[in-house]
Amino acid sequence: MEFKLEAHRIVSISLGKIYSARGQRGGLKLHKNLLVSLVLRSARQVYLSEPGCPPEPPPAAAAAEPPEEEPAPRTAAWAAEPPPPPPPQDEAGRDCQGPRPRRCCCGEENRGGCAGAPPPPHCPRKRSAGERGQAGSPVKKPRREEEEPPPPPPSPPGEQEDMETSNVASLISIFGSSFSGLLSKEPKGRRRPPLDGGEAAAGTAPAEAAAETGQICCDEPVLRTLNPWSTAIVAF
Amino acid sequence: MIPGFGSLMQDVLWCFSQVKGTIDVGVTDADIISTVEFNHTGELLATGDKGGRVVIFQREQESKNQPHRRGEYNVYSTFQSHEPEFDYLKSLEIEEKINKIRWLPQQNAAYFLLSTNDKTVKLWKVSERDKRPEGYNLKDEDGRLRDPSMITMLRVPVLRPMDLMVEATPRRVFANAHTYHINSISVNSDYETYMSADDLRINLWNFEITNQSFNIVDIKPANMEELTEVITAAEFHPHHCNTFVYSSSKGTIRLCDMRTAALCDRHAKFFEEPEDPSNRSFFSEIISSISDVKFSHSGRYIMTRDYLTVKVWDLNMENRPIETYQVHDYLRSKLCSLYENDCIFDKFECVWNGSDSVIMTGSYNNFFRMFDRNTKRDVTLEASRENSKPRAILKPRKVCVGGKRRKDEISVDSLDFSKKILHTAWHPSENIIAVAATNNLYIFQDKVN
Repeated sequence: MEFKLEAHRIVSISLGKIYSARGQRGGLKLHKNLLVSLVLRSARQVYLSEPGCPPEPPPAAAAAEPPEEEPAPRTAAWAAEPPPPPPPQDEAGRDCQGPRPRRCCCGEENRGGCAGAPPPPHCPRKRSAGERGQAGSPVKKPRREEEEPPPPPPSPPGEQEDMETSNVASLISIFGSSFSGLLSKEPKGRRRPPLDGGEAAAGTAPAEAAAETGQICCDEPVLRTLNPWSTAIVAF
Repeated sequence: MIPGFGSLMQDVLWCFSQVKGTIDVGVTDADIISTVEFNHTGELLATGDKGGRVVIFQREQESKNQPHRRGEYNVYSTFQSHEPEFDYLKSLEIEEKINKIRWLPQQNAAYFLLSTNDKTVKLWKVSERDKRPEGYNLKDEDGRLRDPSMITMLRVPVLRPMDLMVEATPRRVFANAHTYHINSISVNSDYETYMSADDLRINLWNFEITNQSFNIVDIKPANMEELTEVITAAEFHPHHCNTFVYSSSKGTIRLCDMRTAALCDRHAKFFEEPEDPSNRSFFSEIISSISDVKFSHSGRYIMTRDYLTVKVWDLNMENRPIETYQVHDYLRSKLCSLYENDCIFDKFECVWNGSDSVIMTGSYNNFFRMFDRNTKRDVTLEASRENSKPRAILKPRKVCVGGKRRKDEISVDSLDFSKKILHTAWHPSENIIAVAATNNLYIFQDKVN
């Protein structure tokens, strides 16, 4: 349980770092942001797979929680959770009671199979709480509602690994494009997490949105600058 | 040769020699030292700072009259190497901070060094002028042109002594070759080429040619989403001009041979230690990222620094290092806090002494550590103003990990993480070390009997 809280905290800190890296003098530091994204991935993995359920959402998340239940699209955003199919997600508001088949940290669907962990109930609510904890901003909601939620298909751990990688990988591509990717209005579920966390870390919603829009014209992808340099580089 | 050189570390008593820099409490960012490097003879010591300046100290000749002032280092030249720039294409400011300085071996009366910021490498010539010509025919002493019709006689200009002036001039500017931030430069043993490394690429330059460089390593994936590691440091072998190594953020070192292919993407040797599963944490990847790699003077070993350890590798053994030294293992339980305050991203450097028998690296609280490879003894010393009386012997420091703290020990929680020693240098043949503590440069020497 403590791991989960710690993991959640680390996720929040990591997203804050990614966000604040945007305004850094000297440009985006690829090395540091890569390391932060790796920590983010590890922490997320633990957070999503760790058994146990907090009695209530962390206070910060609770305070930031929008009044209504988050729709299913959020789970698509994290994109890593295996079955349960939609019915348990509808129960997102309920207590986590009773054992359910879930993917535990061993990577298998196993009841009580985890070393050192009691039979874990599945808690979709924790996930949404975590996400809410990072959203915190009413501006997010309109954007999310634009999204079309693909239902999360049951998938074996291997596929989840890919999805997680792609999730983090999308973060990296966002680094590469100097966060101009964050401003895309495309209903890509993958891009939600950094947007949520980043703006949550900023704390002010409407001003942020305006500022980001303003930055679109300034940000240029790092990768696009490759061509001017290639004239200076000759490989025989 | 000073007695005591090459001897066992415990026989060496380190004494304070000098400190350069202000004592002011408020340190301006620009004064923070970002690199320190002795030249090949140890006569010159160069520092670069965040403000883009280079300061070169020169060791004064030892005098018999003052034997205790064993060759102090005094300011020889100061110049602005890099200025902040703005990349209009990317809307990014390019920092003027000097990331690395590397000296060229001396080939004539002038000294040459390379200095680099994130994007541009410059070759500087530092030369002395202590004479000036006087008695020109066509201009007078102030430089004003004379009216040729007024000249009635000719004379030969003579060189007259003048006050010593040290000039630094930029001789070459190697620009526009790096998309990412340059982290290393290394002069080849052929003295004709050097390399510069950024996060994803390494370029080979000829000193004479500034508008072209050869790309010798490129680890940029076709799809940036697949990026998993970056280059963190690179260095040429001290004797074999075809060989170099580069380290990665994953804790691996690759040795490459430029004779095998133009693009050295395939390594000749790959050094990696299997991870200890019992030490796994959220931050395992960060702390395994190598921040510095250095060949030994002999060329037989490489030393790497990651967040908590220094490792020595034998070039002939790729599967694990031959020696591992714990720098500050007491931080292992504090990684989360160090992640929060960004200290976990600090890039410590490491250095060999002249005989490759002792290695040194920095830590927090202005501590720095030395490890004797032969006796396996280690010592922790501190660079502080309190220990700054002339020829004061440095007392070993100890960090108390838990339980009862002895009188002279300092507890882990009392460590000042804003006082970090990232950059140190060791004289090539003597027991003289330069330690950069934020905006101050400390010079320590071993005790003269």
